[in-house]
Amino acid sequence: MAFSIRLERRLNAPMAMRIAVPVAAVAGGLLAGGVVMALGGHDPIDAYGSIWEGSLGSSDGFQSTLIKACPLVLTGLAVATALRVGLWNIGGEGQLIVGATAATGVGLYAASLPGPLLLPAMILSGCAAGAVWAAIAAVPRALIGLNEIIVTLFMNYIAILLMDHLIFGPWGDPKAFGFAYSRPLPDAAVLPLLPGTYVHVGIVIALLVAVTAWWLMERTPWGFSVRVSGGNPRTAEYLGLRISRRMIIVLALSGAIAGLAGAIELTGVTNRLQDGISVNYGYTGVLIAFLARGRLLGVVLAAFLFATLVVGSYALQTTGVAQPIATIIQALIIVFLLAGDAALAFRLRITRTRPLLEPAQAGAG
Amino acid sequence: MSFWLNSLSVGIVLGTPLAYAALGELIAERAGVMNLGVEGMMLMGAVIGFIVTLGTHNAVAGFAAAIAAGAALASVHAVMTVGLRVNQIVMGLTLTILGAGLSAYIGTGYAGRRPGAGVSAIAIPVLSQIPLLGSVLFNHDVFVYAVPFVALGIWLLLYRSRFEQPGAADASGVPVFLIRYLAVIAGGGFAGLAGAYFSVVYTQTWAEGMTSGRGWIAIALVIFGTWDPIVVLLGALLFGFVDGLNFQLQSVGVPVSTHLLAMMPYVFTLIVLVFTWTRLRHRRVGMPEALGVPYEREAR
Repeated sequence: MAFSIRLERRLNAPMAMRIAVPVAAVAGGLLAGGVVMALGGHDPIDAYGSIWEGSLGSSDGFQSTLIKACPLVLTGLAVATALRVGLWNIGGEGQLIVGATAATGVGLYAASLPGPLLLPAMILSGCAAGAVWAAIAAVPRALIGLNEIIVTLFMNYIAILLMDHLIFGPWGDPKAFGFAYSRPLPDAAVLPLLPGTYVHVGIVIALLVAVTAWWLMERTPWGFSVRVSGGNPRTAEYLGLRISRRMIIVLALSGAIAGLAGAIELTGVTNRLQDGISVNYGYTGVLIAFLARGRLLGVVLAAFLFATLVVGSYALQTTGVAQPIATIIQALIIVFLLAGDAALAFRLRITRTRPLLEPAQAGAG
Repeated sequence: MSFWLNSLSVGIVLGTPLAYAALGELIAERAGVMNLGVEGMMLMGAVIGFIVTLGTHNAVAGFAAAIAAGAALASVHAVMTVGLRVNQIVMGLTLTILGAGLSAYIGTGYAGRRPGAGVSAIAIPVLSQIPLLGSVLFNHDVFVYAVPFVALGIWLLLYRSRFEQPGAADASGVPVFLIRYLAVIAGGGFAGLAGAYFSVVYTQTWAEGMTSGRGWIAIALVIFGTWDPIVVLLGALLFGFVDGLNFQLQSVGVPVSTHLLAMMPYVFTLIVLVFTWTRLRHRRVGMPEALGVPYEREAR
């Protein structure tokens, strides 16, 4: 008896499966991450216990998770926003770094600004720098169609080197004993805390940005025209929409959001420009946007999940499990998500192949 | 004079891994699969190649393991994109991040150590004695000497290749899926080799994220080289030269910050890409027709 197995495209996936896939992907990613840890000689159950204890399972951990979620919500939003116009912004890392760099510049050279003006000036300059950095990729994409993935990516490396140049050189702190730190910023350049916590207000700003971005893209005519330009360029052209202009504006907006993340990390967490101001937040934002399936509000949820893993993995380090385990689990979650989506889009069809001589049955199939 | 000769020699050494990675990507792309996971595959090759070389005191074993590591990660890409028809861009980016994380995880504790074995340069008799250029061109390791032959081999293999129109190829009996699988996995092997070249031969250390975007330069090189192996090889050597110039300028004490000098390869890549693309975009010279499109028999 012979069988043939083939993939067949499903016309529409059942709703329950569409919700089940991301949940199962997270479970699968955690499980596979456990296998990686077990292979390294660590007890995965202990490890996940430490991750829980270090993140959501304790008040300190929960506050750290909120702090870590802030840049991740923003970098995730940056990617998801660009996806609305059909572009891949893989440059969140660099846009975040130039955002922090520009904010540092304002903090160091305009320190005489009155207190209430200094902080907004720093944050706005961070957004502007991120927007410019993204626009460098957006303009050749819009005008000559040059792949924006590669350009945004290269701009990451250039941003890191620019920051290194400044903190090892002109902005370097002579008292930092050769560490890669800029001079510390004035006290007026520190973001206030939420009352009763040590969590800076950045997370509130990030949530407001998420809601605003969602409203702009999903609830305004302009947002609709952007989505048409990204989803169906031919229709957009037929409607007379200027796609290239929308590409540049949206990618600059996306860069501004990532730049904002940099300015907030600077003023809320590090208080000086330093190497490692971004711990791969830009790249993690790409995975977050994937997990949220590009949905702006879904990004918030996915960013919290990934922040939990990152903060938890810091606690893990004390037990000897290297911190990159967080990145591994995050990426594995996406691999499972993609596999799950494929399973949704297709179904395996196992058919018995009839022997040639057997008479065909009426109405078969 | 010796400044330029040194830069040329370093450029050839630095261009070699770029060439291997770019040729690997070219094979996958000519078969219709874009692999944006090259950077992650290079990092996996770098860390595995380094650790195995250190453990066995044998660089050959190290390189074999590195090729296997790159191919293993690429086979995930192949199964997902060719088999399950997952979006190639999303999958490639995810694998780059996975490779970066996994290599950092595996490589913890190896930073700052030496591989303990390497690949020594072989001076080719007579030719290496040619004044000036002899030592620049004919005093390298086996990977450098092999790369033009690899490029030529790929050129011969792909010459008049038919798998750029998967539908037509399938109809005429070419095993489209098998070829796509093999091309992606082979490409990953090349990326793994390129990574090990950085950690075992060039820097002789392992450091987290040590390839610093060279996998992406390799992807840009394929566009720059209009999907032609010979042009891609020449492009890789040119980029290696620019990369090497940075170290040479540092060593002669040019009064420019080392960080600004290190931007050169990236800025150069961007400028060249903009020019190449401006020239190519209307004609789409060399771009494989089915690039990025999953093949489905039913959807023909």
